[in-house]
Amino acid sequence: MTAHLTAAEQRTRPAGVAVSDLTVAFPAGGRELPAVSHVSLDLTPGKITGLVGESGSGKSTLALALMNAVPKPGLVTSGSVHIDGIGNVLSLTGSGLRRVRGPGIGYVFQASQNSLNPLKTVGKQLLDLGRSHGEKNLRGLLRRARELIEDMGLDAVRVLSSYQHELSGGMRQRVGIVFALLLNAQVLVLDEPTTALDMLSQASVLEIIKRVHRDLGLTTLVISHDLGVVGELADRTVVMYAGRVVEEGETQGILRDPRHPYTRGLLAAMPRITGDLELARALPGRPPDLLTIPRAGCVFRERCPLAMPVCADSEPPDTLSGGRRFACFAAAGSAGATSAGHAETEAAS
Amino acid sequence: MTAIIPLLPEEAGAATAPVRRRRRGRWRLLLRTPGRVFGFAVIALFTLMAIIGPYLYPRNLPIDPSAIYAGPSLAHPLGTDFEGTDVLALIVTGARYVLLSAVIAAAVTIAIGTAAGLASGYYRGLADSSIMRVTDFVLTIPGFPLLIVLSTVWDFGSPYSMGLVLGIVGWGGLARAVRSQTLSLRERSFLEAARGLGLPGRHIIWREILPNVAPYIAMNLLLSITGAIYAEVGLFFLGVVPFNTSNWGVMLNIAVFSAGAVTSPQALTYLLSPLICILLLTLAIVLLLNAVDEWFNPRLREI
Amino acid sequence: MRLARRLGIKLAAGLVMIWLVASGTFFLVRLMPGNPVTVAYENDLMHGMNPNQAKAATALLYGFVPRQPLPVQYGRYLWQLAHFNLGRSISYEGVPVSHIVAAAAPWTVIMVLSGILVSFLIGVSAGVLAAIRRSTKFGDLLSVSGSLLHGIPQFVIAILLAYAFTTIWAIFPFGAPYDVTIAPGWNLPFIWSLITHAFLPVVAYALSSYGGWLLTMKSSVISVLGDDFILAAELRGLRPLTVARYIARNAMLPLFTILALSIGFMFGGSIFIEEIYDYPGLGYSLLESIGKRDYPLMTGTFLIITTAVIFANILADLLYGVIDPRVRRI
Repeated sequence: MTAHLTAAEQRTRPAGVAVSDLTVAFPAGGRELPAVSHVSLDLTPGKITGLVGESGSGKSTLALALMNAVPKPGLVTSGSVHIDGIGNVLSLTGSGLRRVRGPGIGYVFQASQNSLNPLKTVGKQLLDLGRSHGEKNLRGLLRRARELIEDMGLDAVRVLSSYQHELSGGMRQRVGIVFALLLNAQVLVLDEPTTALDMLSQASVLEIIKRVHRDLGLTTLVISHDLGVVGELADRTVVMYAGRVVEEGETQGILRDPRHPYTRGLLAAMPRITGDLELARALPGRPPDLLTIPRAGCVFRERCPLAMPVCADSEPPDTLSGGRRFACFAAAGSAGATSAGHAETEAAS
Repeated sequence: MTAIIPLLPEEAGAATAPVRRRRRGRWRLLLRTPGRVFGFAVIALFTLMAIIGPYLYPRNLPIDPSAIYAGPSLAHPLGTDFEGTDVLALIVTGARYVLLSAVIAAAVTIAIGTAAGLASGYYRGLADSSIMRVTDFVLTIPGFPLLIVLSTVWDFGSPYSMGLVLGIVGWGGLARAVRSQTLSLRERSFLEAARGLGLPGRHIIWREILPNVAPYIAMNLLLSITGAIYAEVGLFFLGVVPFNTSNWGVMLNIAVFSAGAVTSPQALTYLLSPLICILLLTLAIVLLLNAVDEWFNPRLREI
Repeated sequence: MRLARRLGIKLAAGLVMIWLVASGTFFLVRLMPGNPVTVAYENDLMHGMNPNQAKAATALLYGFVPRQPLPVQYGRYLWQLAHFNLGRSISYEGVPVSHIVAAAAPWTVIMVLSGILVSFLIGVSAGVLAAIRRSTKFGDLLSVSGSLLHGIPQFVIAILLAYAFTTIWAIFPFGAPYDVTIAPGWNLPFIWSLITHAFLPVVAYALSSYGGWLLTMKSSVISVLGDDFILAAELRGLRPLTVARYIARNAMLPLFTILALSIGFMFGGSIFIEEIYDYPGLGYSLLESIGKRDYPLMTGTFLIITTAVIFANILADLLYGVIDPRVRRI
């Protein structure tokens, strides 16, 4: 909150994001049901972090919490989201918060969502965006928009004068990225960027994300239910289940040697083009929703092949082992690693 | 977005009660709030009036030239009219015509509207375009002026003929709603599967589509009953239909245009009685609409 | 180009509808018990006219001539209509129906248009409030006021208003569109009397349509608020005013069409109010024509009422095409 960095400074030094002890709860029937529960994680500056989990795991809620935009009646009941050069986003309100959304963090919606006003052309909405953030040089803004659009392989003149319904799914997604980057945001959050796109658009959108991330030196968070997408893009991977981070580490490491039984389940459920379809096994059971999340013990134990008696009693603490963090009694036992609390985890990661 | 859906307020609220559908629970839902109990009571009362009302009084209600426009008294709780007839008796005996024709009108509306909507939505093509042309035409002709014009040739004396005409004039909106609903259902996977299995169209329409458009039909049933009541009472009130029956509209007409009740307080109860009956019925139906909405929409319950 | 083609198709369909309605009324009059055309013709004969005079007199009234084959009469009638000749009134002793309609229309237009505008402005604003404050007592109260007023029939509202403000509290004059003791003209007392006499009818009309606007706007705003692009606009840090404009424009879209349609229905939409308040508009003419069995006036008035609706439909359709880019290309 101290100072707004100029665009040039942002380019040179990507900002880190530190989420610590974040809990988002939804009140229901006199109780508070946590959709995100005591989550701590860091987005390393200049890297792509992938966040995977089934629907209902709280990953979209977490992403909205990064923008301090938790949907009502949800409430942030604990924790902070610290962004370099901005401060704790969760303590911002009103116009202070508004000025961070856009110039500070860019948010890209799911491809299946209509993130554009159906009654205005893309160009006019880009101008609205610029005016809302006090941009005086609208000509320059449009020039930058044109560059970004063309950089993504689209016809800028056509796109700027198009309405939302005149764009295809892949084009919309690219336009969404233009909106997120137009004001030189240093942190980019993408929620299911390729879901609902056909294979070819999917590949090209992934390619674009990689390129703009590298060219603009961003700190990027990609949220997906598809481990394949995250594996393709992310330097680091965070696995969420029932509102908790169950495993976190280098993407390559996680794909090669998953520790948490849930991560293993996700990997096993992934069909591979070259592999035998028989080998793809679906995870048994269904992910819990807010009401059915176990209140005590490990949230995964009901679907876990390795569940032990202790899992029903207490929530597994984070275990740190070789740059990896996971929360599982069984895996911790076999790894022989030390248990660590939240405070240590933060220091370690 | 998927992750946010389970957190919508409706669902979070509904979650405190078992979400499973239970028949008995549904019935209880109709009487859950005092408002709905009131609505039911009012409708039950008027229905009773319509059924047994005419048997409670002699066929020709007694007149009393010595008590014209009398105020409320023990003998005449709602006062008397221009001939000294008891207003309460007029209200009670008049209910049958009003309610019977409204129910017939609603039945005709539902029958034509549902059939036209289902047929044009399901078979599409030529059937659709020709049915929709007719529907557009019916919707465009202003209904009430048309009724007034028709009153010059059509005998509205019996509730059956009144109901029939009201129904024939009023089915356009329902047909459109059912059609668009059918069109969207048609594209759903379970119907594509049913068609793929080679199930006959009749089966799909009756077993798969009709239950899914039932909410619209139920809402429209209530709405067309109220609509029909207003239209028929309105016709009588304007005096374009010969007064060969006694009903609320006739009472209003005499009160306003003959007795000058609006400018003088002498016929106050005579004026207010039919008005209040109409208001009560309206209120009761508005209260129940909400219950019908919840009946078919489990997501709305328990808010 | 596309627009012109679209307009052409719509206009053609509208003309077909007008033709259907005109034919309907033509045969309706022929169907009438004691066929009024024949009655008028025979009446004239009895009054000592010769058959040719009587035919001419009847043709003047109805636009068609009795004792001619039906198709010929029908053709003549349509021919007259195409020249905007609606026949001549019986009860006004031969005054052309078009003159009577032209004299009556302004009363309806001014009263109903003010009623629509007032109720639209208030109802739409209340609808926005009811949508934004939908989980508060105030919002509930607004919604209930809308449902109730929407449910109460227009004639009930009009009677109760008349009773309350002309009898219990004698604030407003009752009956007649202006004070007959004042000479009509552009003078202040006359204009003031016009306004005071119009006040209750306008309020009655506004109250009866307020609920519809409120409920429609409320559900429209709620559905737009749930749209993804509004969340997107907020997450892009757009100014609250800009976001409000996005919401307003999208939520108003369906309302404009309904507004255009309701303006079309206005000629036939105030029959009760005109009758109760003795307001000499088109609805009043229609009722008068029926009371006096003035069939040329009746068919003429009905035709005008219907034509207005048909043209408003075309207008609404075009309007929608102009304000919603999604339809523009079709």
